[in-house]
Amino acid sequence: MTSPHALSVAMLLADARLPSGGHAHSASLEPALLGGLPVAAVPAWLIGRATTVSLVEAGTAVVTARLLGGAAGTTTPAGAVPADTIPHATIPHATGPDGVRGPAGPASAVLDRVVDAWAARTPAPALRDAARLLGRGYLRLARTLWPDAPEVRAITAYDAVRGPLPRAVVLGAVAGATGLSAADAVRLTVYDDAQTAAAALLKLEPLDPLTPARWVLEACAAAEPQVPRVALCATPEDIPASGSPQTEGWAEAHALLSQRLFRA
Amino acid sequence: MPDTAPESTPESTPESLPGSRPAGRALRLGVAGPVGVGKSSLIATICRALGEELRIGVITNDIYTDEDARFLRSAGVLDPERIRAVETGACPHTAIRDDVTANLLAAEDLERDFDPLDLVVIESGGDNLTATFSPALVDAQIFVLDVAGGGDVARKGGPGIGRADLLVVNKTDLAPHVGVDVGRMVADAAAARENRAVVALSRRDEESVAELRSWVLGVLGRFRAGAHVAQDPGPMAPHFHADEDGGYVHSHDDAPAHDHAHAH
Ligand SMILES: Nc1nc2c(ncn2[C@@H]2O[C@H](COP(=O)(O)OP(=O)(O)OP(=O)(O)O)[C@@H](O)[C@H]2O)c(=O)[nH]1
Ligand SMILES: [Mg+2]
Repeated sequence: MTSPHALSVAMLLADARLPSGGHAHSASLEPALLGGLPVAAVPAWLIGRATTVSLVEAGTAVVTARLLGGAAGTTTPAGAVPADTIPHATIPHATGPDGVRGPAGPASAVLDRVVDAWAARTPAPALRDAARLLGRGYLRLARTLWPDAPEVRAITAYDAVRGPLPRAVVLGAVAGATGLSAADAVRLTVYDDAQTAAAALLKLEPLDPLTPARWVLEACAAAEPQVPRVALCATPEDIPASGSPQTEGWAEAHALLSQRLFRA
Repeated sequence: MPDTAPESTPESTPESLPGSRPAGRALRLGVAGPVGVGKSSLIATICRALGEELRIGVITNDIYTDEDARFLRSAGVLDPERIRAVETGACPHTAIRDDVTANLLAAEDLERDFDPLDLVVIESGGDNLTATFSPALVDAQIFVLDVAGGGDVARKGGPGIGRADLLVVNKTDLAPHVGVDVGRMVADAAAARENRAVVALSRRDEESVAELRSWVLGVLGRFRAGAHVAQDPGPMAPHFHADEDGGYVHSHDDAPAHDHAHAH
């Protein structure tokens, strides 16, 4: 079977109709509105996310892809691989209890380091829980679509022993498995976050449905200058640490409510 | 964080049933139907009637709140821990059909936390007559109507009414007050269903509860014997097209993307 173009994979992953559980999430928008964010501030809030928390997620995905795929550090394997392309390397199979070993060490140790770095930058338990739920949905998708990819086998093995991985890590494994470039993985993350919030907004506030579509593109544009920098992230330490304490507070309050449309 | 599964209490499997979960998991039973027809009450009735002999878990799909989960917890028919609520992002229909991820994950979690379970009942958020469960989520489904919705609803048909594994005509105790002839309504339903099972139920009528109970045990028995095949009622019920040859039944089974330009 010939492989789909990486752009086709990106479009599949960015499609709101993708059956991986995303429709029950609002990318922190419902918590924000319930916490008092005025609707008029949503465009600015979207730009804020695109240039802070989305970059944490994006950096996590990029580093995961790189470390699982074998391009640890900033070394790019010899050959005609563009600088921002995540090499689609082969991980030797079945070594040790982890089942899978990558060049940067056993896959589980690599994943532990990435997850720790992500968790340190995502202090709100409600947000970590929601990200792990989305990660499980993504993993079901990845296992179904790319069951033989070494990156997918690595995260499947990790999930079975250590529990659910956050979505950004699963996305990174998928990016590695499908040849999605690091820069496009960043753009996908930013777009998906903004579009998720935009779709949720229409369920929460009366609005011309075309209005938030422009806001999504504005958020993507605001993140664009950051894309090259985030696409170069090579180690867990490189992952941006741009947080949003207000979002974290709103997320925690939202998790305690008995009236909500969205999981987070 | 990997959740730690609590110690499962050793219990005996129901002796009247063949095998002990040969499918390796619980029977997943969906309960769908319009708002307020008594889905939660019916689940409470099932728990009351079978809670002694079956290990049951319940998942609710609330629209605005976790009301259904709280109602069931407060009904005292099941350990409150075994009742979980899932958010649907204001799309109860999507959550049971187009993207069942959140419900599947919740079912897996319930089964892991209370291993082994015999039955997981999933309540759909009250929706319209076209909302049915995907066979990717449930093994069997009950569609619920009530007499207060009017005597003609059963005749109007729809995928749930026509082809759910069981149709329940609920709240028969109210029939005299709303001027509905239950016998007539059940006969209409049976005709629309080509004699698939129909139960006329009132939680106050022990005989009807016994009928419901034995239907559930029957499906569970067939599921365990490997003789039950999950049926998809489909997004559309089969319907009759009159034409010069006397008409034909149009089943949609092999034409999921069929264009519905014609008037029904
Ligand atoms: N008279 C009578 N009332 C019933 C019966 N079953 C349920 N009800 C009542 O019908 C109302 C709705 O019942 P629920 O069980 O909450 O209905 P539901 O379908 O779960 O509702 P949603 O989840 O909101 O769609 C409640 O007031 C119940 O007490 C019955 O057998 N007889
Ligand atoms: Mg209910």
